[in-house]
Amino acid sequence: MTTLDPSKGIRRSQLYRRHINNSAVFKQMGAHFIVSHYDNGNSEQIQARSMAICDLSTLPRTGFKGAGAPKWAESQGLKLPNSANMAAIQPNGCLVAKLSDQELLILSDIFSESPQVATLTKKSTQDHAENDTQTYFLPRGDSHCWLAVTGDQAAEMFSKVCGVDLRPHKFGLGHIAQTSVAKTNAIVIRQDLGQTLSYFILCDISATEFLWDCLLDAMQEYAGSPVGIRALEQLVASQ
Amino acid sequence: MKNRLPSPYGTLINREKPIQFEFESKTYNGFQGDTIASALTANNQTLLSRSFKYHRPRGALTMAGQDANTMVQLPSNPNALADRELISEGLKVTGQNYSGSLEKDRGQWLGLFSRFLPVGFYYKAFFKPRGIWEKWAPLIRKKAGLGVIDQQLVPDYYDKQYKFFDVVIVGGGPAGMQAAIESAVEDCEILLVDENPSLGGSLNYSRFDVEGTRGKNQLNELLDAINAKPNISVMTNAVCNGWFADNWLPIVTKRRLYKVRAKQTIMCTGSLEQPAIFHNNDLPGVMMSSAAQRLVHLYGVSPGSQAVIVTGNNDGYGTALDLDDAGIKINVIVDLRDEPIYDDIAKAAVARGIRIETGTTVYAAHSKGANHVAAAEIRKIVSQGICAMQGEVITCDLLCMSVGYTPTYQLACQAGGQLTYDDQSAMFSLQNCPQSLQLAGSVNSLWSLDAVLLESKRAAMIATNALEFTNEKVTDRVTENTLSPNHPWPIFAHPKGKEFIDFDEDLTIADIINATGDGYEHIQLVKRYSTCGMGPSQGRHSALAAARLVAAATNRTVAETGVTTARPPFSAEQLGHSAGRSFYPARRSNMHYRHLEAGAEMLQAGAWYRPAFYHFNNNDRQTCINKEVSNVRDNVGLVDVSTLGGIEVRGADASEFLNRFYTFGFLKQPVGKARYALLTNEAGVVIDDGVACRFGNNHYYVTATTGGVDRVYQNMLKWNAQWRLDVDIANVTSAYCGVNIAGPNARAVLQKVCSDVDLSAKAFPYMGVRLGNVGEIPARLIRVGFVGELGYEIHVPQQYGEALWDALMSAGNEHNIQPFGIEAQRILRLEKGHIIIGQDTDAMSNPNEVQMGWAVSRTKPFFVGGRTIAELEKKPSLRCLVGFVIDDSKVPMPQESHLVVDNEQMTGRVTSCNFSPTLGKAIGLAYVPPQKSDAGSVIEIKSLGGVRVLAKVVNLPFFDPDNARQEL
Repeated sequence: MTTLDPSKGIRRSQLYRRHINNSAVFKQMGAHFIVSHYDNGNSEQIQARSMAICDLSTLPRTGFKGAGAPKWAESQGLKLPNSANMAAIQPNGCLVAKLSDQELLILSDIFSESPQVATLTKKSTQDHAENDTQTYFLPRGDSHCWLAVTGDQAAEMFSKVCGVDLRPHKFGLGHIAQTSVAKTNAIVIRQDLGQTLSYFILCDISATEFLWDCLLDAMQEYAGSPVGIRALEQLVASQ
Repeated sequence: MKNRLPSPYGTLINREKPIQFEFESKTYNGFQGDTIASALTANNQTLLSRSFKYHRPRGALTMAGQDANTMVQLPSNPNALADRELISEGLKVTGQNYSGSLEKDRGQWLGLFSRFLPVGFYYKAFFKPRGIWEKWAPLIRKKAGLGVIDQQLVPDYYDKQYKFFDVVIVGGGPAGMQAAIESAVEDCEILLVDENPSLGGSLNYSRFDVEGTRGKNQLNELLDAINAKPNISVMTNAVCNGWFADNWLPIVTKRRLYKVRAKQTIMCTGSLEQPAIFHNNDLPGVMMSSAAQRLVHLYGVSPGSQAVIVTGNNDGYGTALDLDDAGIKINVIVDLRDEPIYDDIAKAAVARGIRIETGTTVYAAHSKGANHVAAAEIRKIVSQGICAMQGEVITCDLLCMSVGYTPTYQLACQAGGQLTYDDQSAMFSLQNCPQSLQLAGSVNSLWSLDAVLLESKRAAMIATNALEFTNEKVTDRVTENTLSPNHPWPIFAHPKGKEFIDFDEDLTIADIINATGDGYEHIQLVKRYSTCGMGPSQGRHSALAAARLVAAATNRTVAETGVTTARPPFSAEQLGHSAGRSFYPARRSNMHYRHLEAGAEMLQAGAWYRPAFYHFNNNDRQTCINKEVSNVRDNVGLVDVSTLGGIEVRGADASEFLNRFYTFGFLKQPVGKARYALLTNEAGVVIDDGVACRFGNNHYYVTATTGGVDRVYQNMLKWNAQWRLDVDIANVTSAYCGVNIAGPNARAVLQKVCSDVDLSAKAFPYMGVRLGNVGEIPARLIRVGFVGELGYEIHVPQQYGEALWDALMSAGNEHNIQPFGIEAQRILRLEKGHIIIGQDTDAMSNPNEVQMGWAVSRTKPFFVGGRTIAELEKKPSLRCLVGFVIDDSKVPMPQESHLVVDNEQMTGRVTSCNFSPTLGKAIGLAYVPPQKSDAGSVIEIKSLGGVRVLAKVVNLPFFDPDNARQEL
């Protein structure tokens, strides 16, 4: 197996050095490098069920806002949640998060190399330029980092860094909290993987390392550690 | 251990696990579960500390962590409460606040001079004659304070955690336990908090029946019920340390602060036993009745061998039974009441033949030279506070006090509850608590166990009804037919004084009365003048007595006098509880590690980390910075500008929006051009600047300062909420990384990696903007001249940042491209006379003052601040920002905020000053009066060390006045 070096790519997560130092094995998804697993002997699937964090920052995501954004998104076949601060999984695995009545965040399927995000981005700009669809592109792929936090201890861990009650019986599947996590603005989306309690968390990309360190510190009490995308796939596959 | 009682006494200790520890360098034995105080008492060591002012010997008063008499020094922790702190193997403990030894403290002789140290004496002494304070201060500083801080301490890890509950019950005694059980309906989430190691409160040590068994039986019953309810969470060794808005409760444990949100709270915080006030009531061995009971039942320690009990209620008789059962001889029960009405427990004590003296008080405790009580002098009470002339001295080594209680009112009062006083019952009670807060137990003035349990059910019902878990009809408040346990006046003055009201501050009856005599009649003033209630126990044992004395001295009722405000924290917190785990967000550019690898010295600008300069060949800081400056002027440099703000303004009204928002004109700005964007507020004050880049008819990319972009963005949203223009505004600061490649060779370097944009001067002139690619990286290119050289700002999507840096550094290799940092950038911009908003501007700077009048449109119908600027222009300016040079290289270079002076008058100030490697002299910007603003004027600056420096005003910019270099 060829060793992939994320420092050779032109798009680089701010965490790639930490992953390398932690013996990460990378895989390529489209134009992006993502951690497949860490070569440190740990059983990452068990870890992911208990308390884990995974860096998804190099995966595609996009955003749209404007008065025409919801209508335009629906015209592209996206099924939108009924209310703001809710997210809906699409048939192709993408996640559409309705951050407000006029703002959408689209996260790609984390397991496959879907071109949908790139396609939507290009089409939105084109359609707006041609027809003034009142739909404005937001560069979410570069403005925010994207992390996944998984495991049955996840809500307990979050309570050390976030003042919103994220316990599963209070914060249901698909719920979104736009709040402060470790004193930095963050978007938290409940998105279980298989039967495992999981959250996506996005924050300002310039604070990626800060947030990563804070979450690792908070999960130390629960013996949490980073895992790669392979562990998350195993969570879904095992359901 | 001399004073150990056999099992089953000692419910908190584990006799299977003996522990050795040290106190004052002497080794003692105890058991796991012992506190320092209980273990020492078991070994007959009752002297624990020395009091604050008079260095009086002190020992345990409450055995509940409610007083400061037990404060001891741990190796890395001063002021630890010995009746709370558990012993551990090898623990080294010492006393505090003594000179010489704890037993023979030299400071105790201060007590002999007490008449010279009356209340408030420090307001009247130490400052006359003039200059004497300098002599007193070191002495007082040496004597002040109690414990010693370990300055080498490496702090433990403290952190915080949020918790969410439907009902939080504070206090795990019978009231709290019952309330928890009753509240735990359906899936209502309950938290029961108690400061002690286990639940039960008074059930663990108090006497509720003649046999002395009801407490334990009731406790077991309640515990079983709690354990059967999975929706009750229990926290012990946890203190609810305050009440904040909307039931936000800080709960403090050893290393964690829990931030708990409750929808409803039930306060079952109990009540605090109050001391009797008599001569020497502070001696070791003089303690609350409940303290004696705690020692006996919780720790299996006999607090003495011969006891005198002074009581104003029937609880003292329960204590007598407990002590008698434990084998302690009760020499006499001294009952303050003339004709006490006995309950069954009191009758049982009488039936045991214990000597009882009614209508009598303890007038004085005697130590007979030892640091412990040796006898109690009892006398008949003649009238309120007055005793007979003669009495009887009774031998004892234990003197228990049981004269009344105050509710533990602090949290309820913080929530808005009000404390009232009833003269009949001589008790404080709580009223008018908010609807989301219920009271139950003795905090709510209920004393019998049956009444307490019933009231707790009622409080729980109110809470669960409010949360709509239940819909029960709420019963009336429980009333009971028991006597008030409070004696109205357990205060007896003595000719020798030393009848302590406030143990923490060594305040006596005379001190409180004299405070009112000095004119401080309001209880809040009495507190501040005398320091009553300001010590570690925060008035727990002084508030009631002080209120009574002040009321009597000022001819008011106790209700009118009141108590002082109870503020959080309820009990002492470690600094670590507040400080840890704190979060200081750190923002880094995608190029961050390239700076580190290049030897950058990083600095923090707000939350951003930025390279200040790059170390080079072990040169000093200034040499490195000067080198960077020269490299940009002569060659090509690269600086990371990722922190600059970036805002997308898009839509049909984008240009109209900018036209109204900024001072310049934007309607006719061509696509492909950038225009300087100066922002003023409605007062015409300059608050930010940047460039507006027109990438399309309806698309602007506007830059802003690093520190100002959030404010600019908010202002944009605010204004458009009023204007309702067809425009979308998005803060994309973090979405883009940026560099500025600047210097005569900048174009040559960029051309190597940017092939799809014609970079020639004609095709891409100064202030042009283009979209292109640097290698495979999509880029926005802006020709700007902040540093005054041929330069391009290149903005790329964030995750390409490091690759961009690599590409440019690699392309620039043949030109020996060098990175430069913020410090060099500041010098370069200063040489061009470019201002920095917030440094060269202040809260009053209008555009004309700072030579920005050229950036203000005089033809637009409106822009933010325009009207004010127009009015200001009708008047002469009061000051001008000018450039200056200092030709003399030997004078100390002025720094920012150094004053511009005219003789001794302040006439302006320096805003920027630095040595210019390009010009070989110090240059700067300063505000000066208009009459000094012409080029050639000489100004005087008060520089470092007060040295007066002459500077010459010059026209700006200092360098390349024709701007030829940046327009190459």
